[in-house]
This record gives sequence, structure tokens and C-alpha cells, in this order.
Amino acid sequence: MPFRFVNLAAAPPYPAAADCLEKFVTTLLSDPPHVDDVPNEPMMDLGIKAGDKVLLVWSQPSPLALKELAESVGAVIGANGKVAVENIEMLLISAHSSSSYDWVLSCLLTDNSSVHSSETLEEMARVLKPGGRLILEEPVTGTYGQIVRTAEKLTSALKLSGLTSVTEISNGELSSDALRSLRSSTGYQGNTLSRARVSATKPDFEVGSSSQLKLSFGKKTPKPAKPALDPNAAEMWTLSANDINDDDVDLVDSDTLLDDDDLKKPDPASLRAPSCGDGAAKKKKACKDCSCGLADELEQETKGVQKTADKPKSSCGSCYLGDAFRCASCPYTGMPAFKPGEKVVLDKNTLTDA
Amino acid sequence: MLFLQRMSRPQLLVLYGSQTGTAQDTAQRIGRQAQRRHMQNQVAALDSYNVANLISESLVLFVVSTTGQGDPPDNMKNFWRFLFRKSLPAGSLCQLDCAVLGLGDSSYPKFNFVAKKLHKRLQQLGASLLLSVGLADDQHDLGADAVIDPWFTSFWDRVSALYPSINSMTAVPEDQPLPPSYKFHFLDDVIEKSDDTGRAGIPREQRVPSQSHPFLARMTSNQRVSHPSHFQEVRLIEFDISDSNIEFTAGDVVSMRPCNNQEDVEQFCQLLQLNPKAQFILKTNNNSAVPLGLPEPCTLRHLVERCLDVVAVPRRSFFELLLCFSTNELEKEKLAEFSSVPGQDELHAYCGRLRRTTLEVLADFPHTTAELQVDYLLDLFPQIQPRSFSIASSTQAHPGRLQILVAVVTYKTKMQKPRKGLCSTWLASLDPTQGEVRVPLWVKKGTLKFPPEKDTPVIMVGPGTGVAPFRSALQERIAQGKMANVLFFGCRSESKDFYFSTEWRERVEEGQLSLFTAFSRDQEDKIYVQHRVKEQSKLLWELIANRNAYFYIAGNAKQMPTSVCDALKETFELEGGLSLEESDQMLVAMERVGRFQSETWS
Repeated sequence: MPFRFVNLAAAPPYPAAADCLEKFVTTLLSDPPHVDDVPNEPMMDLGIKAGDKVLLVWSQPSPLALKELAESVGAVIGANGKVAVENIEMLLISAHSSSSYDWVLSCLLTDNSSVHSSETLEEMARVLKPGGRLILEEPVTGTYGQIVRTAEKLTSALKLSGLTSVTEISNGELSSDALRSLRSSTGYQGNTLSRARVSATKPDFEVGSSSQLKLSFGKKTPKPAKPALDPNAAEMWTLSANDINDDDVDLVDSDTLLDDDDLKKPDPASLRAPSCGDGAAKKKKACKDCSCGLADELEQETKGVQKTADKPKSSCGSCYLGDAFRCASCPYTGMPAFKPGEKVVLDKNTLTDA
Repeated sequence: MLFLQRMSRPQLLVLYGSQTGTAQDTAQRIGRQAQRRHMQNQVAALDSYNVANLISESLVLFVVSTTGQGDPPDNMKNFWRFLFRKSLPAGSLCQLDCAVLGLGDSSYPKFNFVAKKLHKRLQQLGASLLLSVGLADDQHDLGADAVIDPWFTSFWDRVSALYPSINSMTAVPEDQPLPPSYKFHFLDDVIEKSDDTGRAGIPREQRVPSQSHPFLARMTSNQRVSHPSHFQEVRLIEFDISDSNIEFTAGDVVSMRPCNNQEDVEQFCQLLQLNPKAQFILKTNNNSAVPLGLPEPCTLRHLVERCLDVVAVPRRSFFELLLCFSTNELEKEKLAEFSSVPGQDELHAYCGRLRRTTLEVLADFPHTTAELQVDYLLDLFPQIQPRSFSIASSTQAHPGRLQILVAVVTYKTKMQKPRKGLCSTWLASLDPTQGEVRVPLWVKKGTLKFPPEKDTPVIMVGPGTGVAPFRSALQERIAQGKMANVLFFGCRSESKDFYFSTEWRERVEEGQLSLFTAFSRDQEDKIYVQHRVKEQSKLLWELIANRNAYFYIAGNAKQMPTSVCDALKETFELEGGLSLEESDQMLVAMERVGRFQSETWS
């Protein structure tokens, strides 16, 4: 199988490196290697299975090691799965779709050593599917540090980004290559480092409900038979129901049913939408056939990232349609649809809008 | 008789408690999801369901909102009282598999209390809960859907495990319409009826009027009480309720269902190509409740004017339904987007944020609208919700009459046409001097309670339309010889919106009222009721600490109630020498015994 030997350790401009990676991974998936050729125990250990979608995040690797890693993942997930490779610096810019990966594996190569920022961790949490897993490795220090953090701090950082079941899987030596690249990229001076591998999971619900799901029975077992209803209980219930308007009855105080957990309010962090908030950061959409400049502008912004839909650039014929089909910047926003060619007067407020 | 055989087709019963229609809409959505999976389904309000049958049900989903101060909605109050009876045996619901989905708002302290309590009580009574209680939260950026969507998915997982047969059948796709809930049987002869106002006989009411049997009250007057030059239109409206069997005391609330205006009714009929004069009789296809108050036969005009809410801001379910009828490619694609989970942001930007009405949406999707079938009218459009107003008068001062104070709601969003409140605009348009006007209405108990003792002072803070229940209280109390009354009233300008000023002046002169006013825009600095409360700290402390006074707040929510509470607590600190914590505790203690009450609305 032909491989192009690419200098993946290329310095910025990153887009070029990303393009190369994209191409060789595609080649990889169109003709996946045989299971025998590639060591895949490490991947099996993690629990990756066929059909999974995996995001490999790297920083300053040696090209061979990354290629092998991608290959071994590709072997496990097979043709139905998907492997994407992303440089850690590019991750935030690439804006992968929310909840689209079963796994995110970050900096697992021995000569990778990056400190994951909170934005990066949140981004990884965002692109993971609910129930998906993140495995990352990061240098940690035994003592308090500014640039490198302790294993405990790393664990809390993961929890703060919305992940659960955070566990340290292993803690080993940091290779000298890794240490060197860490020093050069962050200016770190010390040498009391080890390397921690940590696993975390994205909770099952997107956000909101904080309770864990409790199964009352397993999926595979047949439904257990229900106990028979005691005829006395049935009679008591029916009599009460027939008497439903009788106000003179003893009631259980419903407040007594609630415990401390029930009285808690949801964590405000869990109420935020995964994507960025309102206002300036809100994504603008160009209408389907519009060329009032917005479509071009958006294309410039997102160059290099795969687009899901083609936006044909014909002359804008959409203003006469309702707001549902107009550009975000259409001057007719807020007005009803009109017949094409009909004269519509814009009131002075809309005309003076910047 | 009590132990039903398992049906050949699995059945899902969805029971809901809904105050504003949202829980009902959610319940209907999951009912449709069940239909798509070829399950039998029934959706009903909890109080409309015969609870005796609950012990023999196999699968029930409860969708319940929490309203007011952690209370169950009106249409499940009876069920609620029943469920908590101590006499119900612990194993009563041992045959039942069920789940509870709650709709609430975590900015309230008793967030989703109804759902949480229901979940626990069902467990106590022996039911099997299939999954943990769903706690949808309006405060989430994406609203209740953020919890509802994944919860529905888990719910269906559990149900398919229980009823594997539903997995073997392909579900009806999302873009195919389900059978309609009703059938419109049109009459061939269009009889010109003069009686198209829904009066359908004005019976002498034998029982107390309620939502299902409102009293058709004659409007006796409808006067603007804010100055014509003032930006806000506020009206005092009076109804004749003699011979109605309606009784109310101060703090009670009157409810009514508004109508759509003629222009909207015409536009709607045009868009859907309906003949407003067409007459029909309604039959239900699947045990759905027939809407209340529809005459038989009914005209389409009557249905659209009085029953269908076509100016509500449509929910996601509306777009899901429109999608089923759409064949136009452009429109269908957009409708699919608005129905999808990732499209909810866009939907909010298109609809929710701008308060775009259903009618305006229909105008944006003309091809799909023209394809809508009349049989689906009641599936597509929710029924107009009743609106409630604090009663602003007492029968002690105005016998046989009921008055309300209504501020006409109008505001601007990015939509070119300003937004208008349906009920307030409708009431403002009714002119009893131009011919008889009758409005179906009914009275509900309010939450405010006033002390019976003659000497107990009452302190009321009611800026703007918040003064309404306090006018009722004052008229009632003065008639009963209770003269220890203090009112803090705030508005924008003494000359523009100081309603009831003459009436208050008279009371003050007679020694029946102490009045403190705050006119926020009459001077450079803004002066609000809370500033006046602080100024009167000595008086308030004397009344509250030494004379057992009751303290009330009513009016628009947002900042006012908190500011007034803060001012009150500062009074405790200042005059009573209490610490910050102690004044907090004092207020909590007052609330617990009913000496601090508030009724605020948004």
C-alpha cells in the first residue's frame, strides 16, 4: 500500500499539515491494512470497537508514530468507522460537529506532550457523543506548578469541562523527547515530571437533568412478571376514586417525599448550550441562493474546513420570500413575504441600519 | 375485571398536567411518537381521566408542569389531592410501568417540585418507574428541549425493551402525516344564523361558573384610566355578574378566553382557503376531548375566532406537523430544519426571539399552508388559553359587579409590526356603548388572603396594575370597618397614570387609608415604591413588630418584588436592630405564617 512520507512535524502554517494528514488518513481508510500487520492490542484495551468514530488529537509527533496510531485505530474500527486526525492547536478552529465522536484520543504518542487548556477540554467534551470517552495523556508534576499541573488539578479541569467518571489510568515516565518539546513550546524549566493517562466520559444526557439513569431491568432479559394486585388494595383504590370529590380526607404531606437532592437546583454550567453563546459569536447563515456578500464572507472564514452543503452563488432571489428563507442581513427582515417585483417600501428605520 | 389481558397492540397512556399548554403540547408530541411506532395511544389531562382505572393500566407516561409556588397546574389538582390520600394502599400500582417527565423553571426555588413529588409518590404506591424523572428547565439556553429530547430517546429505549414487538415494525416516517384526531362533518346547507356569537342560549346558571361552564357576563363599562397622552393604555373594565352564582373575595382572580380579531380571522381563512361560513359538526377519531364551548353545528369562523390560537408563537411541534404536509422542496427543507434537534437555535432566532406569530409563519410558507387539510385544524393549532386578572373591586362597594384593571400589552421586536397581547387588545376593542357585549368568564380563588381581625393592620405595596387586588381588599375591608390600611402605590407620573387617585384621596380624608406614592418620572431621580418603603421604616416596624401587621406585594415581577423585600429587610435591620441574617429569618417566618404574601406576574 503506497504511503506518502510527509513531514508532519512541519511548523506552521498548519493548514498545509492538516491537508496532508487528511489525505493520508483518507488513503488509509479506502484501503485499510490487514489486521495482522498492525499491532492493535492497545486500542482493543481501550475498548474501541468496529464502527466507532474516533478523533485523534496530536501535537508535534514524529510522523511514523502518528501514522501507526491512526492505522491501528483504523484497523479496529473498520470501514464503517471514521478516524479524524487533528492538531491540538487547530482543534478549536476546526469546529467539528457537536456530539459526533465516540472517542477522543489526545496526545497518546510518547513524544507528544501538551498541556490541555480548558477551552480545548471543553471542545473535546463538545465533540464527544453523550456516553463517549476521552483518553488523554499529559505531563503532570508532583509539586505545584504554573505551566504543568498536578494530576489532581488535571482531574478537576476535566470535571469542570463537563466530563464525568474521570479516572487516572496510569502514570509513567515522560520521555526526553516529550520533555524537550514541552520545554520549547511552553518555556517550562523544571524536571519533576511524569506522564499521566486519564480517561473521562461525557455524561449520557446532553445537559440539564443531573440524575443518573437507573435501569429497572436489563435490556436482554424478558420483562419480569408483575405481582398480582391484592383485591383488597384494588377495592380500596376504586372506592377512593369514586369518592374523589370528598374533601374530608387525610393527605400525606407531599413535602416529606423530597430529600436533599431534590431540593438542589441544577448546576448553572449545565444549562449552557454546548456551542458559543448569543450576540457577536452567534453563527450567521447565508440564505440558500444569496450573494449579497454574506455567503462569500462565510466561505472565507471557513476555508479549509469541509462544508456539508454547497451554496450555489446565483443572484439573490430570496428577499421576496418570508423571513424563514432570507439572509441574516436582508433589509426586509421582519416584514412579511411579498410578490417578486412588487414595490415594497422600507421604512426609514431599516434603511438607516448599519 | 380488574386485570386486563395484554393488548395485541401495546398501548401508551399519556396523562398531563398543563397550565399554559406547554406540557399538553409535549404530551401530544410523545403521543404522536407512539402512534408512529404503531402503538395505541391516548392523551388526556389528568383531571379528565378516571383515576379508578389507574390500577389496571400497564404503561403510563406522566407529563407535568410545576406552576405558581411549586404547585400542580389547575387541570391536575383533583388528581393530586387524590394521589396523596393516606388511605391508598402501598401496592396499589404494582401492575404499572410508568415514567414522569417534568417541565419547570430553575429560577424558581421549588424547581419541578410536582414532577419530583409525583415520581416518589408513584414509587411509594408500588409502581415501577422505567427511568429517572425528567427535569426539563426553561432556564437552559436551549429551553426544555435540552432535557426532553434525550429523555424521550431513553424512554423509547425502555419501552422497546418492554414491548419488543414495536421494534419489528417500521415506524411511520416523521414526514408522513398521522391520521387526524377529529373529523369535520360539513353540513351541505349553509344556514344563515344570526346567533353566531356563541351565545347558544343564556341559561340561568345553577352551579358556580367554571372553565367548562363560564358565565356569559355583560360588560357594563370599559374606560381608559391612564391619560390619553400617556404611552401606556390602561383600562378599568366592569362586568355585570348579578344572578351568576359567582362569589369572590379580595385577592380572587377572574379568567376569560380572548378571541382573535376580524383581520386575523380573515387572513387565516384566506391562507388556508377556508370558507368562514361553512358549518360542521365535530367528531373525534380517537377519544380526544372535544374542545369546550363549541356550538353544534359550528362555523369555521367561530372556530377560528374563538378556539384556535393562530397568533400564539408556534412551538417546535407546529413545524413537525407542517412538515408532514409539505411538498414544496424549499419549504420542506426549512421545516425539517426547524423540526430537528440541531435546528432549534435557528428556530428560536426565527420565531421565539422575535415573537413571530403562527399566522406570520403560515404567510412565510404559502405552499405548505395551502396544502393543509381542514380535518387537521385542531391538531395543528392549540386552543386559545384563558387569561387571568386580579379582581379590582369588591361586591361590598359595587354589588353585582366585577371590575378589572387591564394594561394593554404592546411592544416592539425586530418584526416590523409591533407585537400585541391577545387578551388585552381584545378587551380594549370591546365597546359596550356600541351594543351589548358579553364575555364568558369564571372566577378562581387567588393566593392572597387578608386577615379577618379588625385591628390587624395591612400594608400593601402595589405599583401599576399591581394595585388591582389591593383596591378590592380596601373596598372590602373598609366596608367591614377595618381601617388600619397602608398602601404604597407607584407609577410613572402623577398626572398621567395615577389611577384611582380621587378614590384614594377620599379614603385618606376619611382616615381609612394611609397612602404613600412614588412617581418615578416626575423628577430627575427615579423614585420607586421601595424608596418610600425605606422612608417609612419607623411606621412599618411599629406595625409589623408591635401590631402583627400583614405585608403584601403585587404587580409586575422582574426587579420590584426583590427591591421591596430588600427595603423591608433594611427596615428590620435599622429599626429593629436585627442582623442581616436575622432580618432574613424574620421575613421567612412571616411568610410561613402568611403575614408576608406576594402575587407577581410577568
